[in-house]
Amino acid sequence: MSLPPDTVLFGEGLERVAVRPITADIYWITHCLGDLAQEIYRDYFSMLPDADQYSESRIVDYPFSAFLIVDERSMLIDTCGPRQQAATLQAIQHILGERPLDYIWISHVELPHAGNTPVIKRLYPQAEIITVAGGEHYQLHALDTARMVEPGETMTLGRYTVEMVDALFVDHGLSQWLYERTTGFFFSADWGHNLHAPACGECFQFLDEMLANDYSEELFVEDVKVNAWYQFPWLAWTDPDEIAAAVARLFDQYSVKIFAPSHGNVIRRDVGRFMPLLEEGMRRAAAMPFSHTWSF
Amino acid sequence: MIRHITGDLYQVSEIVSGQFGSEAVSVYVLLNGDQPVLIDCGSHLHRESIMADLETVLDGRTPAYIFLTHSELPHAGNISSVVSRWPDIHCVVSNVMLAYIEVLPTLPLAQITQATAGSMVTVGSRTLEFVTALLKDQPGSQWIYDGRTQTLFSGDGFGYHCPPEQSGRFSDEIPGGIQSEQFESYHRQTFRFLRWIQPERFNADLDRLIGMRPISIVAPIHGAAIRGDIDLHKERLKTAITAVCNSYRERLK
Repeated sequence: MSLPPDTVLFGEGLERVAVRPITADIYWITHCLGDLAQEIYRDYFSMLPDADQYSESRIVDYPFSAFLIVDERSMLIDTCGPRQQAATLQAIQHILGERPLDYIWISHVELPHAGNTPVIKRLYPQAEIITVAGGEHYQLHALDTARMVEPGETMTLGRYTVEMVDALFVDHGLSQWLYERTTGFFFSADWGHNLHAPACGECFQFLDEMLANDYSEELFVEDVKVNAWYQFPWLAWTDPDEIAAAVARLFDQYSVKIFAPSHGNVIRRDVGRFMPLLEEGMRRAAAMPFSHTWSF
Repeated sequence: MIRHITGDLYQVSEIVSGQFGSEAVSVYVLLNGDQPVLIDCGSHLHRESIMADLETVLDGRTPAYIFLTHSELPHAGNISSVVSRWPDIHCVVSNVMLAYIEVLPTLPLAQITQATAGSMVTVGSRTLEFVTALLKDQPGSQWIYDGRTQTLFSGDGFGYHCPPEQSGRFSDEIPGGIQSEQFESYHRQTFRFLRWIQPERFNADLDRLIGMRPISIVAPIHGAAIRGDIDLHKERLKTAITAVCNSYRERLK
């Protein structure tokens, strides 16, 4: 498999993690399965009415990502999962070199997002763990030393300032998103992600690179729909218009120039083109019947 | 703390305290002849006490299966100890869970089976049914139904906060049972997506799910078993969900 030219890969198979710069100071640290995706995801997508579109005619994969902002103070955004622990540590050390890690910012407590926090904290003991306020049992999630922050709070890293964002679409209750004001980098955790096809060389690509080849806007909308349907099954009890309006308000509030979900290919160019597509994907997910997933 | 619920069903629970009251972190054990089944395995925080309690309940038996309602650390953080003690144990999770990345890698992947909602798994002479988890804070969540004891293991659903003196007590041991406010406090914290929900639609599905099978016991992980008066407690949960949803609506006005 050929990698994008500025990508460095650590580990292999279930444990592999790639590093790719998005800007000079913001790095994408990401795991996906590549050739193993078909086997691992077959059962996962089997509930879809058009399952073959995801595991047969088009075999899809999706990433589990962290991001690292390097500034006067550096901030790691999520940690990847314990199975990718060794490769993730290598990736962080590759980026930082001798520089310290100052913050470990956690979007939510699930293992693929926060599961390496204790080991990273041991490697960088001065790093402060940042979680969203409102939770009182972080010790159950091995995050008991965290500083809790509220939506709207900001942290200045040097040239960059990050703002905590109210996570609109969540699975776990203790969730937050993040916006960086200078670059327009927006981290949306579990929301708004596409799928990619390893066979088309789409692993670790940015979305504009995928669109230059086999990918399409319509596939993007359908991928966002499918992922939202799985990730947020509660959409079945919502009003699609309310959901779509919330997406529109979000993009009115933040000047997003880089859209970085945990589980999708990073959108680094022309984000405005994708805002209506993200809205449409959510609208379609909210309109889906839940009979396929909800086997009463 | 070990409590006998009914038949061969036991509850092993620990308590964490906070500003909203006490919250249980429970493991349920079906002794099931010589093939015991664990429902979840608790938090790493309570490793020593949970393992000691499991040894007591199992009384020399080797658990055959652990069914995870989902894989977050309060539910599965103790899995390393369980696997270390009983290395042949088999784990069953939802097919929507990506086990290779969402379950701690101390459990070999070859010992994990994925089950779809609506499917049945037979363990010895017992059949357990996987039920759609209506309330899930992780997509790969499942509820589990045991027809023999008529128990619905409801994961995070039906959790509640309680005053310390009620910790570990079953609903029928508490005068008046579990109140709507207790469900509301817990579900407000746990399920932030309720801000978007139209409660009447959710409640209709809850009615439908509960009505499809005889249920005598609801066993939440973050609460003690609700024994009896299931319809009453279901109505109280519906009231709680409605209150949470409506409070978000009020804020938006």
